[in-house]
Amino acid sequence: MERSLAPPTPLHHHPCKEAPMLSTRLRVTALSTGAVLVALTGCSSGGDSAGGKSELKLYNDKGAWSEYFDQMGALSKQSIGLGMKPVGYTDEPTYTAFIKASLRTKVKPDLFTWTTGGRLNEIVGQKQVAETTALWKQAIGSGDLTADLAKYYTVDGKQYCVPLNTAYWGMFYNKKVFAQHNLKPPTTWDELTKIAETLKGAGQVPFHHTTPSSLFSFVWFGQMVAGTDPDLYEQLGTGKASFTDPRVVKVMERWKSMIDAGWFANPGDKADPADHFKSGKAAMVMSGTWFNTSMTQRGLKQGDDYGFFFVPNVEPALPKTSLIFESGPLCSLTKAPDPKASERYLKWWISPEAQEKWSNSRGDVSGNPKVKAADPELSAITKQAADSKNRLALRFFELVPAPVLTAALDGLSGFLAKPDTYQKVLADIQKANEEYWKTQGAGG
Amino acid sequence: MTALGKRARARPARGAPAGFRLFGRLRFGYLSPAVIVVAVLLYLPFLWTVYLSMTRYDGLGSPVFTGLDNYAKLLDDPALLTSLRNTLLWVAGTTLLPVGLGLLVAVLSHDLRGGAWLRLPFLLPYALSGAGLGLVWGFILQPDGVANQILTFLGMPGGDASFLADAPGNTFAMIAVWTWQQLGVNMLLFAVGLQSIPRAPIEAARLDGASGWSLFRHVTWPLMRPLTTVVVGLALVASLKTFDIVWVMTQGGPGRNSETLAVTMYRDVFNADQYGYGSAVAVLLTTITGLASYAYLRHQARKETH
Repeated sequence: MERSLAPPTPLHHHPCKEAPMLSTRLRVTALSTGAVLVALTGCSSGGDSAGGKSELKLYNDKGAWSEYFDQMGALSKQSIGLGMKPVGYTDEPTYTAFIKASLRTKVKPDLFTWTTGGRLNEIVGQKQVAETTALWKQAIGSGDLTADLAKYYTVDGKQYCVPLNTAYWGMFYNKKVFAQHNLKPPTTWDELTKIAETLKGAGQVPFHHTTPSSLFSFVWFGQMVAGTDPDLYEQLGTGKASFTDPRVVKVMERWKSMIDAGWFANPGDKADPADHFKSGKAAMVMSGTWFNTSMTQRGLKQGDDYGFFFVPNVEPALPKTSLIFESGPLCSLTKAPDPKASERYLKWWISPEAQEKWSNSRGDVSGNPKVKAADPELSAITKQAADSKNRLALRFFELVPAPVLTAALDGLSGFLAKPDTYQKVLADIQKANEEYWKTQGAGG
Repeated sequence: MTALGKRARARPARGAPAGFRLFGRLRFGYLSPAVIVVAVLLYLPFLWTVYLSMTRYDGLGSPVFTGLDNYAKLLDDPALLTSLRNTLLWVAGTTLLPVGLGLLVAVLSHDLRGGAWLRLPFLLPYALSGAGLGLVWGFILQPDGVANQILTFLGMPGGDASFLADAPGNTFAMIAVWTWQQLGVNMLLFAVGLQSIPRAPIEAARLDGASGWSLFRHVTWPLMRPLTTVVVGLALVASLKTFDIVWVMTQGGPGRNSETLAVTMYRDVFNADQYGYGSAVAVLLTTITGLASYAYLRHQARKETH
């Protein structure tokens, strides 16, 4: 939580303390007036000057990335004379509520992070998010952004926000464990299941469920539905398909059979997946490429300690490999304290200079195709992802609207604890799905 | 001050308690800042919540009035039933265990040489915050966690139990953790109560031959009733609004099976963006807490007068 803007009031060192003759009323009045003045001066935020802001505050729900945001702030100050300080939240619902509240009040953030999909549509619908169509047009022209990516930032033909980060989802695997069992990254689903069988047979848990909290209980679901039927996957996001569709049921049955075979670590484990992975408790973790940051923080090196592969399609007949992808927007509001400064910052953010720093410090891919990742493995991932044999599929977290997502996360975490309940779980998610689209106009 | 005092003495408000007489009509002026703060920060948000509970609202734009739809939906929501059941388990568990065991420890250690030292270990967990408590015990009770390992090492059953996965076992596990923390403060309150009750009736009962259980049952316990009323009342309200420990340990899961009403309310508003429905849960929770507290205090007051 951010602390109050007002500086601490040194009342106990107040010079007035030397005047014991003052009446109580006078003292109370003096103190109250002082407090009001301090509050008022404290409210006029630092960094303001007559010509506009020289430092912006970037509100985000990525509290663990403060260090990287700070580095970006220092670089932008040097490059365009506009500094940035992150205000990081670690609790996502608190953050969302804060941003939503700021749309209703006069206290607006300079810059803030958000998610694409239904939630971006939602806040754009409030007509307060600053449009970035011109910025996108220019960036696509200069090759700093791609038209493919623009799709996820487009609402009613106009673009909003710019990509804060871009990540592809796939499987992180422990290279030492793979080498020990003579295994290679799979290219088909059959090969993946054979790897799991081999590892299980040798007493090694193959997969982690990317838990510990229910927040990531969607990961395998999304990957397996998209890898079975990408059209169905997209339809689940727009209310055009049912979660009780026989094809979805089949995916759950397949997932259940994998859990029953003992291929997964216990989903209730409270340890961070990265720690689990480091200790070798599970040989593979399905995650976004930002998981590299967690690896880097734990002293693991891509290429030496671990590797990454895209998960092959469950359905081999599909013409393209479904590749789960996420991109988080960095946005500003039309009524931001200094809209021009915010816009200038967004423009700088997508520049190769900024993106190179942002991508390489965290060890993640960049939304700017011009950026060369310092890490050759990461470069290879970006190149492989851009292959025309792939079909991008938006991460389930952004694909479905909030009430459906919440029901899905609850349901799927319940499924992980009790895989037998999959039919009830799907029925519960479908109930939330129907309710949501009933109020929105089905298939909207 | 003296002028005020004289005026107040000259025109005492008829029937007003002595304390109020001092400031006469000015008392409203003195009270108003506090009244305004309470009204603005407590009553207005409450009324707003009641209004929201009759709307459909996602936190953006304007709420859409839907009448009693949310309440009708509440009746039809199986997750709410689970939540109600868990809340009742919490009420029963926390009014029985931390309060009962606290009383037991206080009574057993009372009049004992070194009793204060015996009580100290029970009191220490109270220093932990609810979130810290949940975090630590979450790790202890996780699958293959410390609890499982200890049970396996001792050759006892439960070595492969999932303490936080199955309902209602996970709620019982969390009540046990809560008891571990709250026992101390209840014990302390009872210990203070035991020290402050008049000695004369107890000595008289002892002379009449009462001792042990009968002394406690017929003399000590009735003398402690006012304190017990407060301790049980506090435990009742605290258990009805159980949130932090559940949120940190299980987030109400897996599959919503350990949710309490407060967790359901939070989930519906902040995770599912259903501000209207979540507000209806909030109103329900407030009503239940209010009614339960009222019924309990009224019952106790009656007992006092009879």
